[in-house]
Parts: sequence; C-alpha cells; structure tokens
Amino acid sequence: MASESPASFYGTLRMIFAQIFDMVNVGIVILDKELKVYKWNRWMEIHSKISAQEIIGASVFDFFPNLKNPRFLRNVKSVLTFGNFAFFSQKLHKYIFPFKANNSLGTDFKHMRQSCTMGPLRDENNRIQYVYIMVQDVTDVAAYEQKLIEMSIKDGLTGVYNRGFLENRLAEDFERHKRYMRPLSIIMQDIDFFKRINDTYSHPCGDYVLKNFASLIVSTIRKVDIFARYGGEEFCCVLPETGIESAKKLAEHLRKKIENEIFRFNETEIKITISQGVAELKKETVSGEELLRRADDALYEAKETGRNKVVGK
Amino acid sequence: MKIECRPAFSDEEKEILQEIMNIAFGNATADLAELIDIYVELNAPSIQVLGIGDLPDYLIRRMKLHTETSIVAQNFWGDFKGSSILVLPNRSGRSLIAILDDDEMNDFSMKPVAGQEKEVLMEVGNILIGACVGKVCELLNTFVTYTPPQVILRNSDEYSAFIESFDPSQTAIIMETVFRFQKIDINGLLLLITNQEAIEWLQKALHHFMEPYE
Repeated sequence: MASESPASFYGTLRMIFAQIFDMVNVGIVILDKELKVYKWNRWMEIHSKISAQEIIGASVFDFFPNLKNPRFLRNVKSVLTFGNFAFFSQKLHKYIFPFKANNSLGTDFKHMRQSCTMGPLRDENNRIQYVYIMVQDVTDVAAYEQKLIEMSIKDGLTGVYNRGFLENRLAEDFERHKRYMRPLSIIMQDIDFFKRINDTYSHPCGDYVLKNFASLIVSTIRKVDIFARYGGEEFCCVLPETGIESAKKLAEHLRKKIENEIFRFNETEIKITISQGVAELKKETVSGEELLRRADDALYEAKETGRNKVVGK
Repeated sequence: MKIECRPAFSDEEKEILQEIMNIAFGNATADLAELIDIYVELNAPSIQVLGIGDLPDYLIRRMKLHTETSIVAQNFWGDFKGSSILVLPNRSGRSLIAILDDDEMNDFSMKPVAGQEKEVLMEVGNILIGACVGKVCELLNTFVTYTPPQVILRNSDEYSAFIESFDPSQTAIIMETVFRFQKIDINGLLLLITNQEAIEWLQKALHHFMEPYE
C-alpha cells in the first residue's frame, strides 16, 4: 500500500469522522464549558428542526430552557469536574430534549423517549474542554414496556383489570383504609346462567356479552372504583370510601341496568341478569382476602335464594 | 487457592495507594461540596488485597453493617479498571432526595415508590463513585469511562449475578471507605475493586506518582 503522509492521513480520517458524525442514527451534541453548543449533528437537526448553523455558538438553554434544572446542571458539573459520565435513562427521565415522538404500536407519547449519556471530552493535555451528550430514541422500547405492563394487569377479552391486579390493589386499599379507618366495600358479581348463553348462542356470542357487560359497568361506576374480571363470568368492584349502604344501592342500580339492557349479537337479542354479593371492611376484618370471601359468601346466598338480586353482608 | 498467580502488592505500594486515596477522596469531598452542593464526609480509606474468590464473603461480612442494604454498582475501565460498589442502608433513597434539592423531584408522588428510590440511588451513586474514581485517576494521570450505574437489591437474582460476574481466580485490591452524608445522617460504604489486569498498571502508576518525591 502506498504510504500516506501523516497530514493527508489525518485529513482523510477527519473527513471520515465528520461524515460518520452526521450519519449515525444517534443524536450527538457537544457543549463547551459555558454550555454553548459547539457541535450539533444531523440527527439533532432533523429531530429538533433546529439547524446546526442556528444553534452553534448559542447557549443550549436559549433553545432548551427545560434543561435549566438542578439535575441537568448537577450532572454537567460532575462531568466537567470529575470526568464523570451521566446517564439519563428513559425509565426515569423520559427525555432530555423535547422532540416529537414517532408513535408506533398505538402508543400516544407526547415526546420521544430518550436514553441519553453525557461524558467528558479532553484536549491533548487531558484537560476536560467539552461535554458530549448522546441521544438515543427508545420510544419503541418504552412502548413495548407499556404494552407489557398493560397486558400483565388487564384481562385480554374484556379489557378490564385482571384478577392479579385486583388482588394486589385490594391488599393496598385494605391497608390504607384500615389505617385511616375509612369505609371500603366490594361487590362480587356473577352473570346468571351464563353457560346457557354459550351453549345456546355459541362462544363468540358469550364473549360479546362479557365484553359489553364489562363496558356497561365501567361506564356506570366512578373513576376511583376498580372493576376487574375475577374469572369466567365472575366480576368484582372495589369501592374506596364507600360504606355498605351506598355499595348496596350501587349494586341495585347495576342490577336494574343490566336487567333492562338488551345485548344484540348479530340478529340475536340477549337479556341477562346478575347476582351480587356486597361486603364492607369492618374493624375485625383481617385481610383483603377475607373481604373477598365475605362478598363471595353473599354472592353464593344471592344465587341460592333466587338470583338477579343483591345480598349484603 | 492459586497464590502463585497473585502479583505481589508490597506494603510500600499499599502505603502509596493509601496516600493517593487520602488526597483523592479529600479533593472529591471538597469539589462535591463546592460545585455540586453534596456534602459528604469520607473516612480515611483502607486497602486490602484479596483473592476475588473471597470477595463474596468479604462483601457479606462488610454489608452486615445493615440488615437490608441497597447496592449501587458501576464498572469503570481504562488503564485503571474495575468495579465500584456503593452500599447504603435499605430505603435510604427517600432520604437522599433531601440532599438533591430538586423541584423536579416534587412530582415524585406520581411515580411508583420503588422507581423513585432507584432513581435517587443511581444519581447519587453515579456522582459519588465518579467523584472518587475520577480524583484517583487524576492523581494517577489517567482517565476512565463508566458503565451505567446499576441498583442491586440484596437477596435478588441481580445480586447473585453480580457476585458471579467476578472471576474467582483473580486478585482484587479493595479500597474501602465509610462515608456519611452530612445533612441526613446516612452512613454508607464505598468500595473500589480493581481487577487483575489493572494491578500491574497500578503498580507502575504508583511508582510514577512517587518519582518526584524520591
């Protein structure tokens, strides 16, 4: 290979690095010690819609006043003082630069989720002269994570909370309400003769009824109430700050509403009724499970004594 | 025990390293207070040379300071390379919020508790470890890069994985100090553990450091 002069070797290298700087799928910002922008790569230009020409030489705070916060300043100082690296993960910080998110997977993040690293850049005497910030778009990862969390707490068919979530929430609510001696009630619900719907009209029709039943309940209860599918055709409402009398009233209201509702699946009109058991947190109640058990006993009694009714314990 | 592969680290070298750590940690506390408003007191550091195989037991012994502990671990590499471990009493994340003095932290009620604690532990750990390692490096005329900090809870899979990540056939130099946050009275333990590859380099750097005085 023909030998290159050192000058042309470094010239070529510089040219290559300058191209890579603008080609990589990562945002790169270089700030000087006064936190003025020294370099701003193409990725940053595209996502910020601010050209390098515009921003270079300006204080980064002129364009991103949101960075003027103790955390960012503290980390910059630790990079400049100790040669530290600072890490801003999307889990904890969501983003450093507020860029528009490219929402895939049906999420609706207002801003691009970013994982950022900050570190020192030194001169030939090993003195720190600049700070670099690398910005990675991790919106997709954040979206997957959000989906996973949703999947782990929601029932796939009806979209309401699942049994696992209900049990955890009930345990927390139980502790809180017991400590502050606040009222807490739950309603256990079961759709009467649900098996007949499946047997008579098919499983898709049964699924349709379950889904529509669940959304009808969700649209009736308060935002603070937790509604979950406990299993099969059994559902449960957790009602914070609610005594047994109000809980029974609500259950009765729901009972009537369901009784009067006509579920239309294709051409078929289906009517259902529900049995409900209501229980309230008492001084002697020792756990959320006990509360569930009492509501379940009440539900059993409602079933045994004629269905389509509310029994409170 | 493979004693033969353990390079000797003389008492003299230990003393020099001890001295370097005294200066470095002193500088680190001064800069942390002056520039970043984090006030810590670092005790005089101590130095141990151990087989890495003995490290898990050593850590367990040292961490008995507290029944439950949180660990922030971070690796650094360059000429000087190894791991740093910050050991804090469990649930100290919440108290550490007080030393950070952030408005941003006020929206903490919106985030799950475990997440908040982790956030603070990582941030404080990263700064503290970086300050101490950075100052040692400065005196030894080198610099290092860091991996992101990791919060590890004792009695977790992460902890076992962390312990298993050390190669038991190697030797470690452990630089250890007890520190205390002034405002909130929390004590912790900071360990810098170099691995075998770095020991030879460290010996040279130590002698280089002493040259002007010899």
